[in-house]
Amino acid sequence: MYSSRRIKDRLFIAFIASVSILSLVPLFHIMIAIAVNGVQVIAKAGLRFFTDTPPAPLSRDVGGIAPALFGSFYITLVSLPITVVLALLASILSTEFPSNIISRAVDVLSRSLASVPTIVVSMVVYTTVVVPMRGFSALAGVIALSLISLPYAYTAFSTALRSVPQIYREAAYSIGMDRWRTVRRVLLPVSRRIIVTGILMVFARAMGETAALLFTVGRYRMGINIDIRAPTDAIPLLIFDFITTPFKLYQEIAWGAALVLLAAYLAIFVSVKVAVKEVRL
Amino acid sequence: MFKSKHDRLFFISLLPTSITIIGLLILFLIILVFHASTSIGVFGLKLFIESIWNPENEMYGILPPIIGTFIASGIAVAVSLFFSIPLSVFTVEFIRGRTRELVSSLIELMSGIPTVIYAIWSLNTLAPYLKTYVMEPLYEYLSFIPLFSCKPVTGLSVFTAGIAIGIAITPYMAMLIAESYRSIPIVYREGCLSIGATRYETTKILLSLSKPAIVASTVLGFARAAGETTIAAVTVGNSMSLSWCLFAPSYTVPAIIASQYANAGLYVYAESVLHASAMVILIATLILSFIGLKILDEWRRRVVV
Repeated sequence: MYSSRRIKDRLFIAFIASVSILSLVPLFHIMIAIAVNGVQVIAKAGLRFFTDTPPAPLSRDVGGIAPALFGSFYITLVSLPITVVLALLASILSTEFPSNIISRAVDVLSRSLASVPTIVVSMVVYTTVVVPMRGFSALAGVIALSLISLPYAYTAFSTALRSVPQIYREAAYSIGMDRWRTVRRVLLPVSRRIIVTGILMVFARAMGETAALLFTVGRYRMGINIDIRAPTDAIPLLIFDFITTPFKLYQEIAWGAALVLLAAYLAIFVSVKVAVKEVRL
Repeated sequence: MFKSKHDRLFFISLLPTSITIIGLLILFLIILVFHASTSIGVFGLKLFIESIWNPENEMYGILPPIIGTFIASGIAVAVSLFFSIPLSVFTVEFIRGRTRELVSSLIELMSGIPTVIYAIWSLNTLAPYLKTYVMEPLYEYLSFIPLFSCKPVTGLSVFTAGIAIGIAITPYMAMLIAESYRSIPIVYREGCLSIGATRYETTKILLSLSKPAIVASTVLGFARAAGETTIAAVTVGNSMSLSWCLFAPSYTVPAIIASQYANAGLYVYAESVLHASAMVILIATLILSFIGLKILDEWRRRVVV
């Protein structure tokens, strides 16, 4: 004997469950599509996919994505410390000295940076760095990446610092520590795992950023440049460029590069999850 | 406010980096407004109400990308709401323990996937699928409705961009909605259950309680969709046209910047026009995020206490 209320309830649960499952389908479809297409390309190219430069559009050889691979790591690794230092100091300021106008301004502005479209960051860096330097450069890319990852790092760090219970601070003050020592000896060590996972997520985000690099790093695909004033390339940029070309070979390379990018992202994500789990124990 | 000289020194030593951040954002706005003002000064309001992109003759009107951005973001938010509300109810209300942990991890995983990965998938998988199974049937049977009145030729259109962006922002919105849904005090849920409400009725009441939070998430999602570049540039079709039809290739502001900015330096005003369009979107997203965060804060203070 089912009342209409009971039936409605059942239908509702069925609806919620099926839409929820449906909403996660794209995730699996994306991963499978990238894996299937990417593995074929990388298998065809072999290890040279990681050591070669991209071929001419009509050649038979798949070539590789070495310049983009190097460039991605290069600019992300250089921008990361800049982001981390700026965001960490800003988040210490706004969590430890919360009640003054500068802290509040820093808090609001750092968070509103997140709503600036990344392509706008790219345009502004283009006019302020690329134009005066008379050319694209890894440095411009580094600056753009630092700018876009700053709000994420700031949010991660201030969440980490706020997650430390107030009694730790009080205990430190009660034995006569000043705020600097409290931050350095108590707060940072206590929240260090969360901070490290925050840094990893910021790294993942910066690594996958495309729009901020469009008008900054240039698209130097002939080789590897160590000089920070010289143009370089990045994996997301290469994918973006190659999927919009009409050449079949370039589209294949884009799939391979997408697999590399996705695999790197998954690796970081899984290690973050493992690290967070250890915190709970 | 400072207990000792050390504290003051510490505070002062934190200032330079913080002022750098504040300065950067102000510098940002100044540069953008400065560059945009050249073209706004020359073309006036006409720039925003006409539809023309002809840099060779220095004629510009950026209405189509602006409208395209709003339509694509509107579709994206609608798609995303359809998925993210059930998804957040599902994770908070219907599953427990390990399953919930797994599903929330998957949502988190999905939200962090680089947008260029969504772009390559949308272009090669989603667009052809939408063209064959959604756009063509709609055109065939409902073409008397102006929105569906043109034949989908390539499968790349505002409609495709909207759906693709909608899928990409679903995890973000689901996390926002789930967070506010979870923060509703347990007394409301207990109250519902104590008068014998079914889960459907409980959820309905809790959802109506969190309506302001859902509105705020929608506004924030809209802001994010409007700034989305990679997916839009690949799926929107890149064509300067203004029509009622959702299936015609069009532009969004980030898409036109992505495709035209590199060559804009060759012409006198093109760069400035693109800065003007970027300024429109930047102001829109800043205002929207501000409103969204404000509604969310107020709601928290009122309901969560």
